[in-house]
Amino acid sequence: MSLREVLTPFTAWKHVLDAPVTIPDPIGREAAERYRGFHQNDMETCIGCGTCEAICQNGAIDMVPVEGQVTEKGDSGLRPMIDYGRCCWCALCVDVCMTGSLTMSNEYTWVDTDPDAFRFIPGLEEPWKDKEAGYRREGGRELSGTKRSHMGELAPALRGDNFSEICAGFTREEAILEADRCVECGLCVATCPAHMSIPDYIAAVRDQDYDRGLQLLYETNPFSEVCGRICTHKCETSCAALHEGDPIAIRWLKRHIIDNVPMERRLELVGGAKPANGHRVAIVGAGPGGLTAAYDLAREGCAVTVFEALAAPGGMMRYGIPEYRLPYDALDRDVAVIQAMGVEIRCNMRVGRDIALDDLKRDHDAVILAIGLQMGRGTRIPGSEGPGVEKAVDLLRRITAGEDVPVPERVVVIGGGNVAFDIARSMARLQKATHGTVGVTLTALEDRAHFLADAEELIEGAEEGVEIIDKRGPQEVMRDASGAVTGLRSWAVTSIFDDQGRFAPAYDQADERVHEGAMVIEAIGQMADVSLLGAELTEALDWNRGRIAIDAGFRTSEPWLFAVGDAVKGPDVINAVADGHRVAQSVMERVSLQEGIS
Amino acid sequence: MRDLHANLKTRHALGPFEPRRANLGFVTVPAERLRGLLTELRDVHGFTHLVLLTAVDWMEDGLFQLTYLMNDRAGDRTLGVRVMLNRDEAVGEDMHDLWPTAATYQRELKEMFGIDFPGSPRVDEEFILEGWTDLPPYRRDFDSLAYSQQTYAERPGRVTHDPRAHMKSKLYPEG
Repeated sequence: MSLREVLTPFTAWKHVLDAPVTIPDPIGREAAERYRGFHQNDMETCIGCGTCEAICQNGAIDMVPVEGQVTEKGDSGLRPMIDYGRCCWCALCVDVCMTGSLTMSNEYTWVDTDPDAFRFIPGLEEPWKDKEAGYRREGGRELSGTKRSHMGELAPALRGDNFSEICAGFTREEAILEADRCVECGLCVATCPAHMSIPDYIAAVRDQDYDRGLQLLYETNPFSEVCGRICTHKCETSCAALHEGDPIAIRWLKRHIIDNVPMERRLELVGGAKPANGHRVAIVGAGPGGLTAAYDLAREGCAVTVFEALAAPGGMMRYGIPEYRLPYDALDRDVAVIQAMGVEIRCNMRVGRDIALDDLKRDHDAVILAIGLQMGRGTRIPGSEGPGVEKAVDLLRRITAGEDVPVPERVVVIGGGNVAFDIARSMARLQKATHGTVGVTLTALEDRAHFLADAEELIEGAEEGVEIIDKRGPQEVMRDASGAVTGLRSWAVTSIFDDQGRFAPAYDQADERVHEGAMVIEAIGQMADVSLLGAELTEALDWNRGRIAIDAGFRTSEPWLFAVGDAVKGPDVINAVADGHRVAQSVMERVSLQEGIS
Repeated sequence: MRDLHANLKTRHALGPFEPRRANLGFVTVPAERLRGLLTELRDVHGFTHLVLLTAVDWMEDGLFQLTYLMNDRAGDRTLGVRVMLNRDEAVGEDMHDLWPTAATYQRELKEMFGIDFPGSPRVDEEFILEGWTDLPPYRRDFDSLAYSQQTYAERPGRVTHDPRAHMKSKLYPEG
């Protein structure tokens, strides 16, 4: 090596004080219109589902909390942070994005002296944040599919005169297709009152591992036959898939799992209860809240007795929900698993009539009231007292019990909730079977867009011949000289709530109609029958707006007494299940405490 | 194109014709008939240009699909000739004597899918991947994410959050 070769590198030092020849943007040329450059994210549209992170083949994306983004129903509050040290700009994250919030600008130069600057959260302050040119996925979301898988249903012509179940449930092929659409983000889990492991059991369907699916269901819900059919499925309103297509049919996939595990196998998978712990718990009412608590407590080793006033267990699941939505044998299978845990259900035992609440208190370590809302509320309009006017819940109960109910050719239902539709559609079936025609008119205060009932009730009810009239306020049950009901007189509703948001319907009295019918059915709400408490306990308990007051652990003000279900909280089966677990936990805490003392 | 298919169908044991556009269609041929078909297409029917040779991994079916896209410039028509190979012993027939450029495609397919073309010039030499030791990366059982995680260092300080667990911590921490 010559001296010159050794010294030459040092000659570069003469440029040390020169102006740099490197410049921040050496090219300055606009990239192509659809170039896949630096990321953009519309923070308001993004729901933090993390599907971009899941699909990234370079492990370049982290989901991070961002100031100003709130964790709420359907939005995790997290946002993607991308490491440009790993990103290869393949755009899979953009293609899979469930809301279309994640895009790419065509910007491609970025100079910074801080290497950590290249780990950044798109959508905050980057200069290309609002740039129009760049890569956006064309058309709709395609990688995960936007259309719900088909499921067989009984056609209106085949179901009008019978109580056969309408929904057939997914076939395996249909279920796999539907499960394949789920991106397993888990945004739905927070919305489910029981926080069921929804993405995990959907993955079990995809993997065709029904045993694992069933075990996941039973971790949080002993009523999957029921909830797989009639759950209010609010989870589906938080589904990431609904932003560009149909939400995943979570409810039907749950049903699909339970449909595919025979009874004996269910019992094997669920396993037995712990050894008896010597504690005795009484539960009043065999609805979803009471029986969920019974299931948990029995599995913990408690001796659990459920006292049910009616002839069979299930509460509103049996005596409220019509058989065409929830067949009795499906409910019976859920109940059978609970009984297999050692739970004793004593039917036809009305507390307060057949056995005293004091006796239950004396013989048990704790008592849980799960009495539901069994009494229908009346409209108290003129003519509503007397024969020919029925409460929906009473009629539904009598239909389930197999009693003869009067089936006039024309019936008017007051109410626009699910119970109103349950009775309207049940009466329509009875009319069709008895008279060959349907003559049910359903009137509700709300306009069609704001009915409290599920949307499918309006569709299916109309298919079955129920005449649905919105924005009508009941004024009088019309009767003839003999006192027989002839119809319902109604006024048009102009508004339902006053300026303060209080319930105060206002009417246009000039718009009066008479809806012909020999029976009027009131379906405007229910209330609890608390007469079983007796005067002394009623006096002793704390109350909250007419309901027994409870704390977060479903404890009443009496240490031995707990209360759960619609009577204290509501409003549906899955909430009752979730609360059943919580009350069981509170009861276990109490009995464990007693154990510590004794 | 349909006339052409009808003409060649029996002699070359072609599968059904799958038209895409008036001047574009696809057809599948048994591997042992490939050379005869390609030669006739080139020499008799004007498909002188091999536009590209590419592969699809039908992993679930245990097959690789080769597609020879052939163009007849004078007739302005393109025919895709497909041949299915057993994925477990993926060996295709060398066609570089028909089109010299086939050698380059074949070398690429060897590297990216592991499909061998015995006799093809330089087919065992590295093409664009230098020092590759893993499964051929276009095979669908190649785990891109695992490879990237094993091969490239993670920048320190990175932390991520699972949306479901994060929502639980924020909305219902007590369970």
